[in-house]
Amino acid sequence: MYDKTVRRRRAVLALLVVLSLLLLTAYFGEAPNGRLHAVQRDFLTVVSPIQDGANKALKPVRDLFSWFGNTLHAKSELAQSLKQTDKLRRELVADQEEKRSYRELLALTHLDQLGVGDYHPVTATVVDKNPNLWYLTITIDKGESSGVRVNDPVINEEGLVGRVATAVGDGAQVDLITDSSMGVSGRIGTSTATGLVQPKVGEPNDLLLGYLPGNTQANAGEYVVTAGSATPGESLYPPGLIIGQVTSVNEESAYKSVNVHPVANLHNLDIVQVLTAGAGTPASNIGALAANLPAARSASSGEQLASTQVGG
Amino acid sequence: MNGSVSGALALRLAAFATAVVFIQIGVVSEVPVFGVNADLSSLLVAFVGLLCGSTVGAACGFAVGLFVDLALLQTLGLTSLIFTLIGYWCGRLREVRDPQSALTPLALGATATAVSLVGYSLMEFMLGVDAPVSFELLRQIIFGIVVNTIVALPMWALTRRALESALPEDPRRRRRRRAYTTGGLSPLSRP
Repeated sequence: MYDKTVRRRRAVLALLVVLSLLLLTAYFGEAPNGRLHAVQRDFLTVVSPIQDGANKALKPVRDLFSWFGNTLHAKSELAQSLKQTDKLRRELVADQEEKRSYRELLALTHLDQLGVGDYHPVTATVVDKNPNLWYLTITIDKGESSGVRVNDPVINEEGLVGRVATAVGDGAQVDLITDSSMGVSGRIGTSTATGLVQPKVGEPNDLLLGYLPGNTQANAGEYVVTAGSATPGESLYPPGLIIGQVTSVNEESAYKSVNVHPVANLHNLDIVQVLTAGAGTPASNIGALAANLPAARSASSGEQLASTQVGG
Repeated sequence: MNGSVSGALALRLAAFATAVVFIQIGVVSEVPVFGVNADLSSLLVAFVGLLCGSTVGAACGFAVGLFVDLALLQTLGLTSLIFTLIGYWCGRLREVRDPQSALTPLALGATATAVSLVGYSLMEFMLGVDAPVSFELLRQIIFGIVVNTIVALPMWALTRRALESALPEDPRRRRRRRAYTTGGLSPLSRP
């Protein structure tokens, strides 16, 4: 009797371990459109309404915990915000003058002022967040039925958040900009040179704008924005979306790179917008033309480089 | 427990595990403590193993791992493999040692979390996934263990409350309970 129990126990363990290894091998070896990936997407389709419901039901609990955490940080953030407000007020005056001349340039090319509204934004609620260091992703409650497609850029009121990695009927998974699979063509606000924004190895919450020409001027505190594309289809992202702020500059090689801190608070995402107008559509063509304006004309070297990278 | 599962236990286990995974995904994963999030699923698997034995622990670990991998679009089979081993060894601990200390869930929770986080990282490295290797990873592992240790006792109480009434009577525990309540431990009390 005892032998039988031991044999059965070991057989169950061996069976489950072998099953796990088979799943692992098959999943890792197959293409993203393979059978197991399809099962995973189907599962997401089934559970996303339940997750959505659970998310709404449990929101008060989540908010309560968040409230405690936010209160602890509020005091330090207040002093920092006051300092930043003074700085931004001074910058606002300078920016308004620049904006005026920018509008004149746009009028010359007979273009409307470029806004996010041109990219058919779809507002979505974040229903799940995977905080795992290996998978920096979120799940949203809008999917293919709302026009969301794979590779659509995702933003919030602060700046670029990521891009759609997987879309199903009523949900989509979004890779955050700090995910290791991401690469965005970007430029420093005041500069014309473009480079590639990628997650910084060793600092999963920070980014690195690399492959900038050696003579690029960069200062801490400057904003890094998406470069967009010089020609339609080169970049997935519209030009001018804020990615982050420069924290420091590295000059250890022929190319210059700068460390960038994302402006979007990726740990506290609630509502996001998916820009559903894809490359080649009228909206993105406006973006491409706007990228050719003087402020972003030198899209040559960095953009070419970025176009060879994942995510463009 | 010899590994057989009653229908009532299986139902309770399935409902409880599903609820815990949804709470993990919907609430706990969005409430960072010390910059990391508690992982209730690894604690659940460890405590089910400790309560129900190695076979049920391993099966529960496999199912919960598969659910997590499917729901979070992670590499299929990875979490299942790690959770299967955690559930099995926690069950074996119960079958071989049957620890009775009040701190057992605390130590087991910390160990299960450490095995889960380190095992997960090692597997990802072996699979060649491009990810940051740094003190940040080490920090996340250490703080993850600390946070899970903090929530281990409430999670243990919750798991025991949810499953205990459906568990079959364990002869060893019955003997121990009788010994405590009738003074049977003392040789002086024997006739």
